[in-house]
Amino acid sequence: MVICIVALVVFSVLGIFSMRWREIAKEAFDCVYRMATFRPCITKLDQRIKSRLTAKLMKRAPALARFTYRYFKALSWIFTIVFFATMFYSAYGIYNLVVYGSCEPGSPTCGIDQAMSVISCYETQIVYGIILVLFIVFLYFGYRYLKFKE
Amino acid sequence: MLDAEKLREDFPLLRESKVIYFDNACTTQKPKQVVDAIVEYYTKYAACAGRSLHKLATKTTEEFEKAREKVAKFINAKKSKEIVWTKNTTEAINLVANSFKFEKGDKVLTTNLEHSSGLLPWQRLAKKGVISLDFVLCNKEGELSIEDFEDKIDEKTKLVSVIFASNVTGTVSPLKEIIKIAHENGALVLADGAQAAPHFPVDVRKLDLDFMGFSAHKMVGPTGIGCLYGKEDLLRELSPFILGGETIKDADLRSYEPEDIPHRLEGGIQNYAGAIGFGAAVDYLTKIGMKNIEDYEKELAKLLIEGLLEVPNLALIGPKDWRKKNALVSFNIKGIEPQDLAIMLDENNIAVRSGMHCAYPFHKFIGENKGSVRASLYFYNTKEEIGIFIEKLKEIAKTLG
Ligand SMILES: Cc1ncc(COP(=O)(O)O)c(C=O)c1O
Repeated sequence: MVICIVALVVFSVLGIFSMRWREIAKEAFDCVYRMATFRPCITKLDQRIKSRLTAKLMKRAPALARFTYRYFKALSWIFTIVFFATMFYSAYGIYNLVVYGSCEPGSPTCGIDQAMSVISCYETQIVYGIILVLFIVFLYFGYRYLKFKE
Repeated sequence: MLDAEKLREDFPLLRESKVIYFDNACTTQKPKQVVDAIVEYYTKYAACAGRSLHKLATKTTEEFEKAREKVAKFINAKKSKEIVWTKNTTEAINLVANSFKFEKGDKVLTTNLEHSSGLLPWQRLAKKGVISLDFVLCNKEGELSIEDFEDKIDEKTKLVSVIFASNVTGTVSPLKEIIKIAHENGALVLADGAQAAPHFPVDVRKLDLDFMGFSAHKMVGPTGIGCLYGKEDLLRELSPFILGGETIKDADLRSYEPEDIPHRLEGGIQNYAGAIGFGAAVDYLTKIGMKNIEDYEKELAKLLIEGLLEVPNLALIGPKDWRKKNALVSFNIKGIEPQDLAIMLDENNIAVRSGMHCAYPFHKFIGENKGSVRASLYFYNTKEEIGIFIEKLKEIAKTLG
């Protein structure tokens, strides 16, 4: 179920480009909405992701397929935590950039070292943009969903 | 002998896609002949049957009634008026449930093997207090015993509603014996023929069957059309629960004179294209020969079941003896959820069904609360497809099981 949160974010972005992904994003939203209201997810999106992923892996790496199938729930949690941790640090960097004019205040450069500084600044700005788009898409689907439910 | 490879040429979807379609119990693919018959109606003579007198209407009436004759002949009904068009099997059973003149205290006997369509209409009548409902329970393999019917059918039993061929176990009910016992006790028999009529010859007169419902879409025909077969005098006894256009001869403000059967049971404009498509489907099957279909499907069943028994950790639902089954098998693989397995097979272009297959009580009865995976074959499936299917299952079972 927890993978639906990541799916919502990912497919919302992809949904900008194709109707097909938009449908999946809607399902993910439904799942997240149900989770948030303490009801079980009924879209079975997580099950489909798990099974399709396993089937695809089975063709190339059966051991990995078995591992994915058995520990999908744990993997989903790890993936989701890593995903949001990355998002958080990116947002933190953006915040610093906006407030202090640098991704890493205290550091003489914006990024990890001098050479990377320009790139990492650009990266954070791109992430900032993506988050903004995601937020808009999320609001859009949320609005459409709630209208639909009425 | 039936040449499946050649017949597949008639099915645009099978010709053009690589899918291995093993979900025929849900619905079958449609041959060009059926699609053409429907298109012909819509493009050459679309009109109402029975009402108007112009040439188009006359042609529609002719084709519509011809289709009825074909379906009647297909199951060896005495007269075409013994065929009432319905949407599907579900509606056929509901038509009997809602139109049969039950009296208080009448008992309906059914089984725990039924599809929801053959169970819920009776449940509702029982809840309303119209009938009392009793059950014959099958064994864990899904087989019904004649002795149980002998025990349960009594003078209060008005109707025995029984699945002809199971959509979960693939077993065929001993209908002839059930009918004999029922008739000896003054009860009538309604058969759910959804998985029977498409797969082997059904002779309602030989069986002395009273009612039977079946759907066109499970026998290469279009969706949205099916029929209820009923003996002429029994159909006349039914009290129509849908009234309106076509069901009456005459009416004034407070009364009406009903039409003769079957029209009195077919309210409103009918699914002409569907019925004509059903007729074309019956023509198609008749041309192949139902006995040929049955024999070929037995070969498929043998290969399928023998193959499945080699798959590690696979638990077959129903008998393991292919002679006792249609080419329809439900199963589970230990450690893999049925839905997961179906999705994985779909990733490999194999279409099967997973879940309860509308047979909740039976799945609960055998302790398969999450349902099962079902592979249901038809005459256009090939031995090669079975081979690929079994290999895929083995691969999945070995990797994940
Ligand atoms: C045994 C049986 N009865 C009834 C039905 C219902 O058929 P329909 O949906 O065409 O009414 C089915 C469909 O799967 C079936 O398998």
